[in-house]
Amino acid sequence: MTQRPQQHSFNPYTENGGTILAIAGADFSVIAGDTRQSEGYSIQTRYAPKVFRLTDKAVLAVNGFAADGNMFVKKVRQRLEWYRHAHSKDMPIRAIARLIQTMLYARRFFPYYVYNILGGIEEDGTGAVYSFDPVGSYEREACRAAGAAQSLMQPFLDNQIYFKNQTPAPGTSFPQHLPLNTVLSLVIDSFTGATERHIEVGDSLEMYVVLARESPSIQALQNIVGIQERTSTADGERIFVIRRDLKKD
Amino acid sequence: MNSFANRFSTNTTQLHSPEEDNFSDATWGSQAGFGNIAMGVPTFSIPDVADPTSFLQLHTDDHADPNCRIKIQHGTTTLAFRFQGGVIVAVDSRATAGSYVASGTVKKVIEINPYLLGTMAGGAADCQYWETYLGMHCRLHELRNRERISVSAASKYLSNLVYSYKGMGLSMGTMICGWDKTGPAVFYVDSDGTRLKGDLFSVGSGSTFAYGVLDQGYRWDLTDAEAQELGRRSIYAAGHRDAFSGNSCNLYHVKEDGWHFIGNYDISKLHYDGPGDVPGAPEGGYGYDIRVEGLSSANPPEAAASA
Amino acid sequence: MSSSSIYSPPGFDFSNQLRNNFMLQKGLPLPKATSTGTTIVGCLFKDGIVLGADTRATEGPIVADKNCEKIHYITESIRCCGAGTAADTEFTTALISSNMEMHALQTGRKPRVVTAMTMLKQMLFRYQGQVGAALVLGGVDATGAHLFTIHPHGSTDKLPYVTMGSGSLAAMAVFESGWKPNMEREDALNLVKLAIAAGIFNDLGSGSNIDACIITANNTEMLRNVEMPNVRVQKERDYKFRRGTTAWKKEDVRKLIVEEQTLLIGGDEMDTS
Repeated sequence: MTQRPQQHSFNPYTENGGTILAIAGADFSVIAGDTRQSEGYSIQTRYAPKVFRLTDKAVLAVNGFAADGNMFVKKVRQRLEWYRHAHSKDMPIRAIARLIQTMLYARRFFPYYVYNILGGIEEDGTGAVYSFDPVGSYEREACRAAGAAQSLMQPFLDNQIYFKNQTPAPGTSFPQHLPLNTVLSLVIDSFTGATERHIEVGDSLEMYVVLARESPSIQALQNIVGIQERTSTADGERIFVIRRDLKKD
Repeated sequence: MNSFANRFSTNTTQLHSPEEDNFSDATWGSQAGFGNIAMGVPTFSIPDVADPTSFLQLHTDDHADPNCRIKIQHGTTTLAFRFQGGVIVAVDSRATAGSYVASGTVKKVIEINPYLLGTMAGGAADCQYWETYLGMHCRLHELRNRERISVSAASKYLSNLVYSYKGMGLSMGTMICGWDKTGPAVFYVDSDGTRLKGDLFSVGSGSTFAYGVLDQGYRWDLTDAEAQELGRRSIYAAGHRDAFSGNSCNLYHVKEDGWHFIGNYDISKLHYDGPGDVPGAPEGGYGYDIRVEGLSSANPPEAAASA
Repeated sequence: MSSSSIYSPPGFDFSNQLRNNFMLQKGLPLPKATSTGTTIVGCLFKDGIVLGADTRATEGPIVADKNCEKIHYITESIRCCGAGTAADTEFTTALISSNMEMHALQTGRKPRVVTAMTMLKQMLFRYQGQVGAALVLGGVDATGAHLFTIHPHGSTDKLPYVTMGSGSLAAMAVFESGWKPNMEREDALNLVKLAIAAGIFNDLGSGSNIDACIITANNTEMLRNVEMPNVRVQKERDYKFRRGTTAWKKEDVRKLIVEEQTLLIGGDEMDTS
């Protein structure tokens, strides 16, 4: 019997570091990621975006293996464009979430090595965050960190957003949703903190803010330096990008 | 995308490239919004290597290799039992990846349709995806036969489906629960192909702890309130003793008119304060330090402590 | 495998090796040692030697210490930069430092750099690379200025400019383009700073601040944190917790001052007459 050549192990995956984070508010959603891309001890680039605008009300953050991540975002955008041509409207975020599940699960036996967090505004105007595992299990949450420093950030967010391990002052209770300026501060502090203690996090921070139609939270964005608007249609949800420097060592 | 394109094209030349097949049948209901359900069994992309199963295992089996890159979420306690008043379904809400608690708010009860529930143990994505897929086929059954699918038929559909992927690495242990013409019904289905009909099941790493409480308190003629309390108490026991289960308990009750969501209970709150004002619950917490207060040497009476 | 006892000979204790290897096979990994995934450099100049190091210590991808010291004392005019396992570089240099002092007292002369180098390489070779220390040794003695690298297995090089650690390639790139023979003191220090900065910014294992040490025939100058290019930024929010934030199960207040009362038993007073 002739034996055919055997491949010992096929490894198409690598880990490119970095961290992503998303927080949902009452009528907004913040989706953030650092821009460092690394492999081992080397930095491949100091600016590789991990957060992508999908529609005026949905933003997708991808983390893990950068090549898989970029290809995945490309394919999601393609599907959303087809949807737009077919229905003359943007796909609602809960439908995008289900689409991402089926696209990830289609590769159940050859997974995309990508952790996805989808943030945006639901059809009822509330802020939403959906988080996914690499093969498509998903859940709607109020906040989620993923990637290299998730184990540094998530406990901090559990404490500051869900008020875990905190007892309220007698006769008071913790707020259900935090205001936008507080959320932005917590995001920045999460990333500066992770940059100090995790070698794969740093260079710069990119934060997408998605606001519901006529959201009063716009007030909080008034005095932010270097803020850019990324909205494509005049009436509807609005998207902004805020960039901050992180330490580069 | 052939079927999609052909529907709108005037010439009927069949284009066929393997790339275009990538998403054709696998991603039911998502072809640019033109759902193409009932196109047969889904297909999946498979890595082009001699042994795809061991390839998958190399990269996803965190038990054999804790450093593997893709961590699939595991660890659970789920239970379901049949009784005089219907079916009680109770689950915890913790997802773990290695020793990290990946989430404490997982919905491990999958609402297949208003009369059918499925539970989630093993691979989270496997359970979510296939039970949603099952829900679609249950609806098709309704449209074709003008009556609801039986729990038995639904569970067999799922069982046959996962059996066709046997050895490929799917991981699920689920209970399909519902109420049909025969009354309340519970079926256990797993990815090995096992399908069992029974009165009482518990699945997952914390199942032994749940069985301990469940077996002790189970009777056919439990009242609704007693049955709900038993489900809640059993998940609490597992959450308390199993490191891979916990956070909170989701409780469902299936009656003749379909399932009802009873509530979400924080497990540490159950330990210290109990479930609050719900029928069937005792006063105070489930933890025994409340029951031994002032009686044991570790928890001495006030007078003895100051002496 | 012999068991350890209080009468065991001096040196490393290998009595847990069999057990640890067994546990490793069972899938229980050994605890991670803190490593100084590091940039360390040294270069010759007109009057002596400049040594440099970054100050980051890591445990896997986590920064364990943001400002550690990697330039170790050997003698007054010999210093040694360490990369690799933090504990190994620390104890190896400390041991050799002691032995150098003993040697100096024994001979009644200032010890030489080659002596330290030989002691270090013989020790590292004896342990076959198990002592994970990668060193840059530099100093000035009666025979002039000398600069060595010592690898964990015991091999050494003598060169006019050297780099080691995970950032060695980034730092060497700077030396290769900028080093010249007979540099002035300031130029040499600046080159070392640039080399370490290259490591800090381009190698993930290196970071935080720059330490340098200038050794000349009659003076050694330790420049701790000569450059601090990565100062901590101000946090946006204040994370003070309200008193009473942490829940408690029971409260127990005890008086720690013991009250004492002296009771005199009557009729037995000391006779003071």
